[in-house]
Amino acid sequence: MGRIALHGVTKNFGDTEVIRPLDLEIEDGEFVVFVGPSGCGKSTLLRLIAGLEDVTAGRIEIDGTDATGVPPAKRGLAMVFQSYALYPHMSVRKNIAFPMRMAGIDKVEQNRRIDAAAAALNLTDYLDRRPGQLSGGQRQRVAIGRAIVREPAAFLFDEPLSNLDAALRVGMRMEISELHTRLKTTMVYVTHDQVEAMTMADKIVVLQDGVIEQVGSPLDLYREPRNLFVAGFIGSPKMNLMTGDEAVRRGATTFGIRPEHIIASPSEGLWQGTVGVSEHLGSDTFFHVHMKDHPAPITVRAGGEVSLHHGDTIYLTPDETRIHRFDVQGMRLT
Amino acid sequence: MATKASRSAARVMIAPSVLLLLGWMLIPLALTLYFSVLRYNLLMPGANPFVGVENYTYFLTDPAFTDAIINTLLLVGGVLTITVLGGIALAILLDQPMWGQGIVRILVIAPFFVMPTVSALVWKNMFMNPVNGLFAYLAKAIGMQPFDFFAAAPLASIIGIVSWQWLPFATLILLTAMQSLDSEQLEAAEMDGAGPLARFRHIMLPHMARAITVVILIQTIFLLSIFAEILVTTNGGPGTASTNLTFLVYAESLLRFDVGTGSAGGVVAIILANIVAIFLMRMIGKNLDT
Amino acid sequence: MARAISARRKALNTAIAWTIGAMIFFPILWTFLTSFKTEAQAIADPPIFFLFDWTTENYTTVQERSNYFRHFWNSVVISIGSTIIGLAIAIPAAWSMAFVPSKHTRNILMWMLSTKMLPPVGVLVPIYLLFRDLKLLDTQFGLIIVLTLINLPIIVWMLYTYFKEIPGEVLEAARMDGATLRSEVLYILLPMAVPGIASTMLLNIILAWNEAFWTLNLTAAKAAPLTAFIASYSSPEGLFYAKLSAASTMAIAPILIMGWFSQKQLVRGLTFGAVK
Repeated sequence: MGRIALHGVTKNFGDTEVIRPLDLEIEDGEFVVFVGPSGCGKSTLLRLIAGLEDVTAGRIEIDGTDATGVPPAKRGLAMVFQSYALYPHMSVRKNIAFPMRMAGIDKVEQNRRIDAAAAALNLTDYLDRRPGQLSGGQRQRVAIGRAIVREPAAFLFDEPLSNLDAALRVGMRMEISELHTRLKTTMVYVTHDQVEAMTMADKIVVLQDGVIEQVGSPLDLYREPRNLFVAGFIGSPKMNLMTGDEAVRRGATTFGIRPEHIIASPSEGLWQGTVGVSEHLGSDTFFHVHMKDHPAPITVRAGGEVSLHHGDTIYLTPDETRIHRFDVQGMRLT
Repeated sequence: MATKASRSAARVMIAPSVLLLLGWMLIPLALTLYFSVLRYNLLMPGANPFVGVENYTYFLTDPAFTDAIINTLLLVGGVLTITVLGGIALAILLDQPMWGQGIVRILVIAPFFVMPTVSALVWKNMFMNPVNGLFAYLAKAIGMQPFDFFAAAPLASIIGIVSWQWLPFATLILLTAMQSLDSEQLEAAEMDGAGPLARFRHIMLPHMARAITVVILIQTIFLLSIFAEILVTTNGGPGTASTNLTFLVYAESLLRFDVGTGSAGGVVAIILANIVAIFLMRMIGKNLDT
Repeated sequence: MARAISARRKALNTAIAWTIGAMIFFPILWTFLTSFKTEAQAIADPPIFFLFDWTTENYTTVQERSNYFRHFWNSVVISIGSTIIGLAIAIPAAWSMAFVPSKHTRNILMWMLSTKMLPPVGVLVPIYLLFRDLKLLDTQFGLIIVLTLINLPIIVWMLYTYFKEIPGEVLEAARMDGATLRSEVLYILLPMAVPGIASTMLLNIILAWNEAFWTLNLTAAKAAPLTAFIASYSSPEGLFYAKLSAASTMAIAPILIMGWFSQKQLVRGLTFGAVK
């Protein structure tokens, strides 16, 4: 079981409020991702749940019981750190065994679980090596193995993929998702990468300056960002945001349209502009279009075969059913 | 970053060190201050009356005190000059490509590990002795009169011995600093047309500046307390020719058994050392955050 | 990037460096050689370098006449004893400051350093009198106490700089894995810090072995370590060069070897981490 509930949780470091009073429910078996720019308090929030930091005020419940003052060792949670935090002086086997050794689990059971975890994570051949002799991806797997064998109520991941190169990151992302499907254990995952958040999460928690901006499924956040911050943060490439006449005409202070919801044409359309930088990805092409009266270039997604060049004139038509409108405070208008 | 539990554990774990050092510092310091205002001589048991600043007046107006201060300054200044200049030269030399660098390094560093009493005695007897010392043979071999080091130039001889002991320290630290100098910087300077002297003056010296300061400050702390070398060579003499402040306080307290005056001298020594200490602490403190 | 230089230049560097190195090392070599000469050969004119009758009789004489090994043993007990006690006190303190820093940590570290700068002569009188009254003069135990205290700041500082290099996340991982504070320190921190602890230990044994203010002032015949024992050769006995050399060689050999192993750590330890 792994239900985690935060009630009015606050964290101050000295005079700075890192987490403003915050409530959050994490259901058993859910994959929850905390996402936000660096310094938004997402890692601190995770460390509060882990018990590595004290809350300044508020209550943390795990499976219905108050865990606020409980030391990390007794919370029944497992954590995978950004640096993996493997014990460099122990073999992979001993690393994975350590939490069970601390819990006083007998040797036979220890070995059974180690072998099972190693098989699942492709580590069987490396059990007698030291962490220093492993690649980044293998170390990551050892860290996960060490977390699995405890059979925790929930897994906590603190930016686990940020030290891996791009190709490995995609692979590990899938492995962690598969692990979640298989174990059905609650996972709380911190990242600054919105792509990781979108691809892995059941529920995304967007944080900024210690405040939850929005909680919802990836598609909820994509379709109906509650405010300008979420609108700008979720989605890649970023949503185009425009103010001025175009926004007023649509009854908003700011309006946004995603690159994939604009139709580009070399001959006709609502807006006229010139092509700046174009990025050809094969399947898609992104044009950065410069428009008169609009300082920032508009990003547009076009089919892979559209051939327009730097300096060509381009016409753009937004899909008016997919526009997002925001008021003066930056909140979504419905 | 931590929890209440780990913070209280931290306080418990740091307590023994702090309490012991606090005791080690405060108890003797308080006693020294207390004794320094008493007439207290171990040879004259009985009441130890309060005499105010009398001990200080006596200690500070004693001609031996002036001599000791001058000797202390000469000793510290002489050793610093020799070791820092020699250290810079040796550090640059040892940083050059050569065969057997590791072995040379080991040879140069060795004197630092020789205990002060041994190095003082070996130098005094086997090298500087006017009859049987190696230097005397050398002088005779080239037809000169042997030089009686400890009779004619006691302080200079001690400066020589102490410099031999501390040159390795300066060399080792400056060499460590030199080795952290990015050789691309030197190459860039060379490309910019800097000759060897300009490279030394504008690249190497500024790079070593911090290490040089550290060497000066740390050596000063130790050199102010030079004791064993004087004790086994000259015993402070002839007269007060090689008595430094540390040795003078020792002589007052444990040779003349005048606890009061010795304590007053101790307080003076503490004040002088503190002046150096303040500079040193700033240097190290700055480094603490990086 | 190594700079390409000519072989001639390298040969010149080598010649100069070896000459200077040999000159600096010469007194130690000469002492070593003299310790194997007879007293007559030790003061022979002209001096003999290698072609003398090698003899070990000086070593046996030194031992027989003055019970050398008692003093050697005193040095061992005092330097190792004070280092181990110092480590036992300093390891928890360094753990606290490296992994649970507070706004006072910096001040505590600086204050500890400042105690090291107290000139020993400033507190000689009261310590001497206290030791006299507590019957600690000329005891191994008394010297162990003093040397532990004077080297404690260096031990704490060295351990602190080594512990700082251990990522805190690893200790947090242990905590998440269910380790108590004791297991965390015993199974994770100490094994990871073995190299740092070893070099701290080495440097402190060297410093304690060579300490020559307190050992000279607080001991007499019974507990005198080698520093104080050798000082007794400043009397006319020092004119027996061969015996002086034998006693000196035995006093410095172990520490010279340890010192060579700890050169790198020496810099860090003696500059309190200011030069690495």
